[in-house]
Amino acid sequence: MSGLMTSVPDARALLRLAGALLLALLAGCGPAEVVVKGNFPAPTMEKLPLTIGVWYDPGFANHEFYDEAKSKKDSSWLVKSGEAQVQMWNTVLNGMFARVVPMVGQPGPGQMNPSVDAVLIPQIAELQYAIPAHTNVKVYEIWIRYHLQLVTTGGDPIADWTMPAYGKTPTAFLQTDQAAVNLAAVMALRDAGANFATSFARVPGVQTWLQQRLGNGREANL
Amino acid sequence: MKIQNSACALALGSAICLASGCVTSTVDQMVFNEPTEGIGNSTVVILGRRHASDYDTEPDFVECVGDHISSGDRSVEVIGELEFINDFYPWFEPRTAPLQLADLERLIQREPVVAEKLASLRTQYMVWIDGSTVRGDSSGSMTCAVGPGGGGCFGFGTWSNDANYEATIWDFTEHAEVGRISTSATGQSYMPAVVIPIPIIAPVQGTACDGIGDQLLQFLSSQY
Repeated sequence: MSGLMTSVPDARALLRLAGALLLALLAGCGPAEVVVKGNFPAPTMEKLPLTIGVWYDPGFANHEFYDEAKSKKDSSWLVKSGEAQVQMWNTVLNGMFARVVPMVGQPGPGQMNPSVDAVLIPQIAELQYAIPAHTNVKVYEIWIRYHLQLVTTGGDPIADWTMPAYGKTPTAFLQTDQAAVNLAAVMALRDAGANFATSFARVPGVQTWLQQRLGNGREANL
Repeated sequence: MKIQNSACALALGSAICLASGCVTSTVDQMVFNEPTEGIGNSTVVILGRRHASDYDTEPDFVECVGDHISSGDRSVEVIGELEFINDFYPWFEPRTAPLQLADLERLIQREPVVAEKLASLRTQYMVWIDGSTVRGDSSGSMTCAVGPGGGGCFGFGTWSNDANYEATIWDFTEHAEVGRISTSATGQSYMPAVVIPIPIIAPVQGTACDGIGDQLLQFLSSQY
């Protein structure tokens, strides 16, 4: 009898242990998940004396990229970059413009929004990644192609262009795949900010708009 | 007696080589307008080139050169690479970094904020390091096994490492490129394994760092 009394809790403990092991194994089968985290410096440049609005589409603000494993050897990847994207764009825009105002809704006819000079709408058109397991090269890489729109608060287009960004990081001793992909993504976001800050005034539609807003002399200095 | 001494020297050399791997290195330099009294209270920034598609100058190599200079002469103030590129974002990113001194001068004229910040840091010299350390040929084989009674490895592996770096010195006061220092180092590493693998790593990158660091110290410091 006493033997039975002691064996029941043992069996339960064993079942719990087996359950925990099964959960751990199942977790191991899930995709490799990376929530991109990093610090982005503010640009060191003269601010444009303009108030810019910014609208982050929910698809952009919560952007995530999922790549399913092609074979049993590979693992699936889930890269969540939305939060870091918003953080980077807010930092860059605040360093470039006198005032940055987040929009309440997507600019368009009938949409109530704060009054601004123009609204920037960044979107991710494409994101690709490469890890050493794919390429046999000891580098982790991330490519992002942005679709950028500058519109009036009424939604009328001012400029529409695409912009590439690229980040890479070499393999490092004791660095996990996830940490390396995060670092490559942070480098790509830094590159996006640098590309945007240095090329914004040269985009044809933007150039014309800046000439109208600031006059030729000021625009020529940008 | 002479033969005995030579044999001793050869044995000692071989022992040192086996303990840390063998490295051979060469350093070439061409510098002008060397500051005779050192750089005074000015500062120097050392940056790595990262615009090539197939390699990046390793941040830890840039840091190693900076540390070598700082430890060699404490009066030479070296600004950290990450601190500098964050302070001057977005102008020193791989996409936007000036490749020529003229590009930097154009940037300073166009962006007064950059000029003010450079002046506040008292930066007189900017050193760009371009290059990388790559792993070359490898040979040998090693087998490892794990069993209920334990595990172990058996075999021998060897590989080479090659480091090639070039440092370019820009002088803001003279508005000129005032020097180029290049270093190359090659080393052979070994890993014999009888139960436990024993890596004997050739300090190729460290030797290249010391080579370039010594030459930069001679240029920047009044003590060398």
